Amino acid sequence: MSASPVDKTASAGQDSAPAAPPARRIPALLPAIVIWLLLLSVPFWLPLLGGYTELGTRVLIFGLVAMGLNLLLGFTGGLSFGHAAYFGLGAYGTGLMLKFVTHSTPLAILVGVIVGGLAATVFGPLTVRRRGIYFAMITIAIGQMFYFVSVRWNSLTGGEDGLTGFSRTDVDLGGWILHLQHPMVFYYFTLFFFAIGCAVVWSVLHSPLGHTFIAIRENQKRLRFLGLPIGVYIWIAFAISGFIAALAGSLYALLNNFASPEDLNWVLSGVFVIICVLGGMRTFWGPLMGAVIYVVAQDYLSSITVNWMSFIGAIFILAVLFFPWGLLGFFQGRFQK
Amino acid sequence: MSILDDIHISRRTLLKSGAALGATSLMYPAMSAFAKSESPIKIGLIDPQTGTYAGTGGNEILGAQFAVDEINRKGGVMSRPIQLLIEDSAASVGQSVQKAHKLVNRNKVHFLMGAVSSAVALALAQAAEQMNTLYMDTGGHADAVTGTQCRWNTFRTCSTTWLLTAGDFQTIFDKYGKNWYFITPDYAFGHSLHTDYVAQLKKAGGKELGNALAPLGTTDFSSYLIKAKSANPDALLVLTSGNDQINTLKQATQFGLNKDMGIGGPMMEMEVLEGLPDAARYGYWNMEWYWNQPNTPHVMDFVDRYKKAHNNKVPTARSWFGYASVYALALATEQAKSLDTMKVVKALEGLELPPEIALQPHKTFYRASDHQLIGSEFPGQVKTGGVYPDLFEVADIVDASKIARSAEQKGCSISYPS
Repeated sequence: MSASPVDKTASAGQDSAPAAPPARRIPALLPAIVIWLLLLSVPFWLPLLGGYTELGTRVLIFGLVAMGLNLLLGFTGGLSFGHAAYFGLGAYGTGLMLKFVTHSTPLAILVGVIVGGLAATVFGPLTVRRRGIYFAMITIAIGQMFYFVSVRWNSLTGGEDGLTGFSRTDVDLGGWILHLQHPMVFYYFTLFFFAIGCAVVWSVLHSPLGHTFIAIRENQKRLRFLGLPIGVYIWIAFAISGFIAALAGSLYALLNNFASPEDLNWVLSGVFVIICVLGGMRTFWGPLMGAVIYVVAQDYLSSITVNWMSFIGAIFILAVLFFPWGLLGFFQGRFQK
Repeated sequence: MSILDDIHISRRTLLKSGAALGATSLMYPAMSAFAKSESPIKIGLIDPQTGTYAGTGGNEILGAQFAVDEINRKGGVMSRPIQLLIEDSAASVGQSVQKAHKLVNRNKVHFLMGAVSSAVALALAQAAEQMNTLYMDTGGHADAVTGTQCRWNTFRTCSTTWLLTAGDFQTIFDKYGKNWYFITPDYAFGHSLHTDYVAQLKKAGGKELGNALAPLGTTDFSSYLIKAKSANPDALLVLTSGNDQINTLKQATQFGLNKDMGIGGPMMEMEVLEGLPDAARYGYWNMEWYWNQPNTPHVMDFVDRYKKAHNNKVPTARSWFGYASVYALALATEQAKSLDTMKVVKALEGLELPPEIALQPHKTFYRASDHQLIGSEFPGQVKTGGVYPDLFEVADIVDASKIARSAEQKGCSISYPS
């Protein structure tokens, strides 16, 4: 996987000399290879740094949902404050399947993804008619609607107590059994789905569809003059990101063996946006970088002080002031100059 | 405004003391009372330090830390020091589960304890069971924790909601009348209290006029209070707790509801009484432990020691939950001579707290059949015009074993892993 869509957007965003081809000092594939090697070896080096495997799994899950959101936010230009709804629907879909219907983890994931993704697909058309702040407001409203359903529907969701009473089960791959209860096995299980999510986002970005998304972000009016149905394209971006958020949510429910209404709350949607902005909205790997910063900072700081949110806030303000393109965007800009 | 200021100050002191506690636990290896080779026995404590239950959660932490310091001064458990690792739950279920995984997987704690919210307690019990770890619920009251959802790894120090309601049901029914209206927090704890009261109310021939469900962390109770007023009940039962209870009672007083109907409820706490203006201190309630027990041995001594260490603040029921829970774990570990979860569980089953820890007149023990601590209830009346710390008049110290339901009645049968 290369970071080429990034190069285009970075140069477009910075309005630099359009004629000169982007100078590449580092081969395009190198960062991707390094990242994948690091991800594959997490269970071996993370404990040495004082972490634990589940922390790595949580980073992957937040990275995945942020990558999906970034397709809409960073590449299409739609600020959604409601993606936690699809994340949470994925979590509840999976949890409820495991609790009441099946003992098959893959089937539960499939149902979770479909439930969350379909919700995004169905409610997408309501949001795409508006832009900017109005788009954000409608996404919040739809998200909160699902949140209140989960809080109030006590008999099914457990209300504010959250959904307990299910746990991830072993997966039988034709005689080869994956013991998902083992944290390391579940890490690689999550990494597998993370890779699928990456592949989807990457191939979308490298298709004409992805170029259309970027064009919408850059100049919506021009595209409208060209006769493109912009709403339909934003809807497609919304739906894809919803499916990916649902996949991440479904994995999150399996990680904790638990789903809570907070998984659908707009506060979590805000966290997803923060992760994208921290890491770099216009870069492919930025959301993963943002997830590393957010999840690790939360994990360590919250043990030290109850005011950890202030530190996250400070980090966010500094990032916006000094790295408006996110950390990864900043470093990529450095390399390419 | 002065009340708000008071809360602010107490919270700040709490944060400071929390930071101090954190610092002490970091410095543990440096303490010379134990040989360097003795690795500490780690207890992970998950309690709210922020949010609506910050006050009550903070006192559970203080009580637990007080017990840990005492035990370590006396030579620890199996000649090993105890180390307390404190994490903030913010009364949020998701965050608590995450912290439980972190404490067990990263910090390798031997036991988990804590919780003010019942929802958190239920979630922690499940998470701990999946990690094969003992969990001691300090302050989540819903019946289910040691009832329909009881688990082999889970014990509870605070009362069940049944005990809370049975403690003062008859008093409220006799003093106020038979038509009741409820303001109920909309989660496990509230639902459980409501069910228990209604069961007793029906049996006694009373009538429920209505039940307003308020989400946890509600600050404006006016819409619920207006409904209560228009229902015109004999008694308004306030089932909220923590800051939610302070807000309910303050606003009920502003609405003048206490002039039209009797107000009371299943649970009153020192933290709440301290946060209330004098005008809002009234009614019949139940306490789970009270510092002023002139006839119970060891209590005055404990209260004096605690006050000396905590700026002249008396221990509350929450402090006692933290204190007793740590001691119970320590006693069971000493008895089991092992940190193996199953062995400590077996030692805790039936464990009777010695009088200097139980600090109440009746027999106090962890019932083997459902892992519930059976002790005493302290029903009584809030003193109007009382001065801190003398804010509550205990009418009677009830032996909980007389009013508790059996494990079968609660729907608990514990199955152990093979």
